[in-house]
Amino acid sequence: MPETKRKHRDETNHRRGHSKPNKNARKKKKTGPRLPSSLQKELDRLNPTTSIEIDQDIDSADGDAAERELLPQDFYEYEEQHAEEESKKNKRYDPGSVDQLQYDLPIERSDESEDEIIQSDDDNVDDDDDGMERTGDAADGDSSEEGDGRHTRMLQGITGMPSEAFEGKKKRKMKDDVIPELYPESEYNPSRDVVDGDGQISIDDLLNPLQDNPGFGKLRKRIQQIENNSKAIHAPLRTADQAKVERKAAYEISKKEVTKWQQIIQRNREAPTLLFDENIDLGFSTVGAIASEFEPRTEFERKMAALVSDDKVMEAYKKDAYDAWQVSVEEEKDRQSRIAKMRSLLFRHEMKAKRIKKIKSKTYHRLLKKDRLKTEYSNIQMDPEAAKEFVMKQERLRAEERMTLRHKNQNLWAKRILTRGLNSQDEGTRAAIADQLQRHAELTRKMHSMKDSSSSSDDSSDGDDEDAGSDQEMGSKVVGKAIEKTMKVIQDDHETPKSGLLSLPFMRRGLEKSKKAAVEEANLALQEYKDSKKKLENSVGSEGPEATSISGRRVFGASKTQISDAGDKVKSDYNYGSSDSEDDLRASKNGNIETQGSNVLQKDVNTDAVLIQEDTDNHQESVFKDFNEIVKNPGPKTTYEVSLFVSDTWKKARNRDEKGTNVKKSAMPSGPVRQDIKDTEKEVEEDSDTDSEGQMVDGILTSGSKLSYELPSQEELIRQAFAGDDVEDEFEKDKMEILNVENPEPEKPVLLPGWGQWTHVQKKKGLPSWMLKEHENARKKREEAIKKRKDAQLKNVIISEKLDKKAEKLHTKALPFPFTSKEAFEQSMRVPIGPESNPATAIGPLNRPEVVKRPGVIIKPIQFEEVNPHEKAEQRRGDKHRSKKNKGSGGRSMKKTTA
Amino acid sequence: MKVKVISRSVDDFTRERSQDLQRVFRNYDPSLRTQEKAVEYVRALNAVKLDKIFARPFIGAMDGHIDGVSCMAKNPTQLKWIFSGAMDGDIRLWDIASRRTVCQFPGHQGAIRGLTVSTDGRMLVSCGTDCTVRLWNASADNLMELSNSTKNSVEPASVHVGKNAYLAVDHQWDSELFATAGAQVDIWNHNRSEPINSFQWGSDSVISVRFNPGEPNLLATSANDRSIMLYDLRMVSPVRKMIMMTKTNSIAWNPMEPINFTAANEDGNCYSYDARKLDEAKCVHRDHVSAVMDIDYSPTGREFVTGSYDRTVRLFYYNSGHSREIYHTKRMQRVFCVKFSGDGSYVISGSDDTNLRLWKAKASEQLGVVLPRERKKHEYHAAIKKRYMHLPEVKRIERHRHLPKPIYKAAALMRAMSDAKKRKEERRKAHSAPGSVTTQPLRRRRIIKEVE
Repeated sequence: MPETKRKHRDETNHRRGHSKPNKNARKKKKTGPRLPSSLQKELDRLNPTTSIEIDQDIDSADGDAAERELLPQDFYEYEEQHAEEESKKNKRYDPGSVDQLQYDLPIERSDESEDEIIQSDDDNVDDDDDGMERTGDAADGDSSEEGDGRHTRMLQGITGMPSEAFEGKKKRKMKDDVIPELYPESEYNPSRDVVDGDGQISIDDLLNPLQDNPGFGKLRKRIQQIENNSKAIHAPLRTADQAKVERKAAYEISKKEVTKWQQIIQRNREAPTLLFDENIDLGFSTVGAIASEFEPRTEFERKMAALVSDDKVMEAYKKDAYDAWQVSVEEEKDRQSRIAKMRSLLFRHEMKAKRIKKIKSKTYHRLLKKDRLKTEYSNIQMDPEAAKEFVMKQERLRAEERMTLRHKNQNLWAKRILTRGLNSQDEGTRAAIADQLQRHAELTRKMHSMKDSSSSSDDSSDGDDEDAGSDQEMGSKVVGKAIEKTMKVIQDDHETPKSGLLSLPFMRRGLEKSKKAAVEEANLALQEYKDSKKKLENSVGSEGPEATSISGRRVFGASKTQISDAGDKVKSDYNYGSSDSEDDLRASKNGNIETQGSNVLQKDVNTDAVLIQEDTDNHQESVFKDFNEIVKNPGPKTTYEVSLFVSDTWKKARNRDEKGTNVKKSAMPSGPVRQDIKDTEKEVEEDSDTDSEGQMVDGILTSGSKLSYELPSQEELIRQAFAGDDVEDEFEKDKMEILNVENPEPEKPVLLPGWGQWTHVQKKKGLPSWMLKEHENARKKREEAIKKRKDAQLKNVIISEKLDKKAEKLHTKALPFPFTSKEAFEQSMRVPIGPESNPATAIGPLNRPEVVKRPGVIIKPIQFEEVNPHEKAEQRRGDKHRSKKNKGSGGRSMKKTTA
Repeated sequence: MKVKVISRSVDDFTRERSQDLQRVFRNYDPSLRTQEKAVEYVRALNAVKLDKIFARPFIGAMDGHIDGVSCMAKNPTQLKWIFSGAMDGDIRLWDIASRRTVCQFPGHQGAIRGLTVSTDGRMLVSCGTDCTVRLWNASADNLMELSNSTKNSVEPASVHVGKNAYLAVDHQWDSELFATAGAQVDIWNHNRSEPINSFQWGSDSVISVRFNPGEPNLLATSANDRSIMLYDLRMVSPVRKMIMMTKTNSIAWNPMEPINFTAANEDGNCYSYDARKLDEAKCVHRDHVSAVMDIDYSPTGREFVTGSYDRTVRLFYYNSGHSREIYHTKRMQRVFCVKFSGDGSYVISGSDDTNLRLWKAKASEQLGVVLPRERKKHEYHAAIKKRYMHLPEVKRIERHRHLPKPIYKAAALMRAMSDAKKRKEERRKAHSAPGSVTTQPLRRRRIIKEVE
């Protein structure tokens, strides 16, 4: 700080030295006395004509130390100081003076600019000084009424200037006096005029001698004018301040200048792509362009060019070419139509074949085959030649079959199936086996028929070569066998073991019990068999023709196939029957198939029913009969049968119910109160359930005791339904399980034998403490995690906090930066941009990068171009359009050149 | 039976050449491709992985100087030539394509501190600590002749001797003026031996100067007194000064946005400023762990490259807070100067280990001729990458960079320090009256004041 001060002082002194020669000339304009305005006014009043030379550095006390040193030499100083001080003191407390101070401040401010010219850099200090002085000055302003002498003394005291400075007239008188200079003239020693008070020469001084001379009137007038019109001109600022102001202005201007880029920058920033590759001239782009520039130079080239460009040659060539390819229009058309026809025929044929080949329906193919056979058959009948051929073919096939026995379970597949047992096979396989055998039978029929005629049938125990026999006969046979077997069983059962485990008393008792039951059952069965046998015998007569029609069929040992056959038969025979009855029958059939117990009697009953149904006369009667029989037989199967029948009615009822609920739903208020709807639905379901139960019960009642049944109440039903399962407990268990999965329990610390143990000493200590601590920490952590769960306080709720790790990969943790909403972010990824899902024309704009530049092309800096902000939208559109056409254009302000 | 025939015009389906692709028609109904988004996600993932596989940014080193490379200059008219000046006063012209020295410019007695080339590429200006400014005839014809002859060195066209060392030089765009920085900022004309103008504001030496290429009358300097100054040649005066907490080593104007410039600071950050509002940075680009020594904008104005004292080169987007790429090799030492190539696809760095290094601006870019279909594929990959950039898996792979151990550790340390500071600030805030403690954003925190 002191350094800068010194520097400044030097500067000011320097400046003063420079300005000295000009001082006189520019005195009025620039260097007024550096006094506060109040003082100056005072002085003006006292001495209006003379301009006073006052010492320059009043404010910068440091700067004029030398001058101050001089002051004490003045003899006025010492004497007057005391009085002056007193007066000053007195005035300081004068309320008027304070007022004056406040009032004068603005004026002083305005004058301060003059003072500041020579102010040092440390303004703050000076300002303070100013303030001090100002108070003093204000006081002086008040004291102006008092005598002149006193005033000047006071001034002198304040400013530290000699009293002469304030006494204009005296000065004049003393002007001629010679004051010897004690010191050489320099900037540190105040010159004579400083000591003297007034060394400056005014214009008046210069003009006075000319006053009397003629010929200077013009000049005098001019001077007068200047004096009259003279105005106070502000002194220039300090250079530092001036520079500051200049810089400020310059910054404003350059700011404004630069702001013109704003539009362009904004546009470029908003543009989806910046293009830096336009207006590039890379020379010839195509072979044609290069060729067009070719000029023949050598002799040979010129010759060639002459030939190539020769008109005659060209014409001839063109004509030749035309003739060679000339074809009449009709011919061409004919040819084309022919070809088109052929093509279309071929195409259609191909398509048909393809379509037919593609059809998977077995029925269709069967029908197709049937058709084909039919035509063949008709051919055979019409054409003797064809018939002959057919016979030959059949004969050959038969011979082959006999030789190879290909279809008599000879192949590996059939063998394998047979070893596994036919019963364990599924329906399809069984059918396939049957098919094969039938094929075999067909192919070898002739021989069989001869055999039949020659010898009576073998025992039918061998299911393979089953001979023809009516179902009824079969049925009776089977029933007979069954009777035999049951009888045998009943007889056998009487034998009891005499020794071993089974001879123990309680075992014996149990056996007896079971035996009794078995016997009972057997007896019942026996009765059934007998009944059925009787019926069968009855029905034989009436079903003559039908039975014969069936006789061609083969039956295998397993009874199931028989059932299915029966079912098939029903299906095929009763295509025209009423759909209801068919449904019923089918239901019954299904039921039969499901009954794996192979209750022969029941089957027979069923088939019986079917057969009876064929007769339209006693249709209903037979059904009732059937029912009666079933009711008589209290076996579990029969009830099942009934329930089946009944269930149909139940279904219907349910349908009706559903309709009812539909109606209910539609009648409901349309307000989307989901809960309500759910509730009502539930209710409806419950209702329907109970209804159906009731009906079921009804159905059973129709066959049993209707009166004894009593509908249980709702509560009872629910209790019964949920008897034995504790839902709440289960839920709690579930919740615990989920908790354990999501916050797994820490494993208990286990000390592996031999690990960390040195001797038995350590064994006593047990597990190491860190293990225990770790375990404890883990446990605590888990507990905290469980406490923190959302469902910790909710007893009846499980809120899973499991994170789907795979799905997590596809989610961001927070909304990424440029996006403001989740929707916008999702939208940005919604539409695929790949070539598979967008046409080729759209891919370019979709995938265009932010900056398109070409490697090897120098990009020059931006150059200014006027942008109209109001045309923005239109330009954008233009941009798009252009980019669609060709991406060689876009950001307009970018200047591009070739490398 | 009605036969439906698809009618297609022959013209559309005839290929001009056998190599042409068959036209394929697709049904673009989005309901037919419900998995398209998932497919694209996987593709984006693969694209990112491929990017990693193909990231081979280092092309080659240019060896020849015998002291650290202090400055570089690119020829605005020649893509493959770059001038470099070293600390021993050696100036070389390099052919980037062959990575060889074309010729040398001997003459300087001390370190070269500034190099620049006039816009027409005819004049090379160099200055250094030997208090001289030298102008060299660097026109292409002249240099081509030289490279063909055996002489291989150039005489300066003129030498101007100043009083103080020169620390930086830059050429005005499209004119004959250039500015040198040292004790003061001097504006020179090619044809005058004395500066036509000098500016001095403050007493500390100016260490970098850069003309605004878009607005050629504006120039920015940075000085040792931690200030950044703006000058306007039209006003013939400095315009504005801004003082930061740490020194700015280099300044680069955005060539496409003449109001913006970025300052490479000693504290390891780069600060992007709007020349009109110097009271706050537009963006603070962090990531370097040591002083940023030099900065240069890509001619596209969308990214810039920085070289740092931490021995790395980083690439930033003009508006992103963190770098998009870091380049380093084991042998590369303190980086003193970096430049983008004129077409914006290469980066050249000069470092203390006397080498210039040539890098790709995009680490995994395919060099050489790229066929249209290849280009489309690249574009598609870039587009889907950009689209799924925010998803964690893609982001992780894309952001992953291998760092040298010292830098990794220094970054971690800096992070810890800044975290601690933040924590402290938060606590202080929490325990004092609301509103009494305010935190300045980083954009403002490092600025001390703006001087008019």
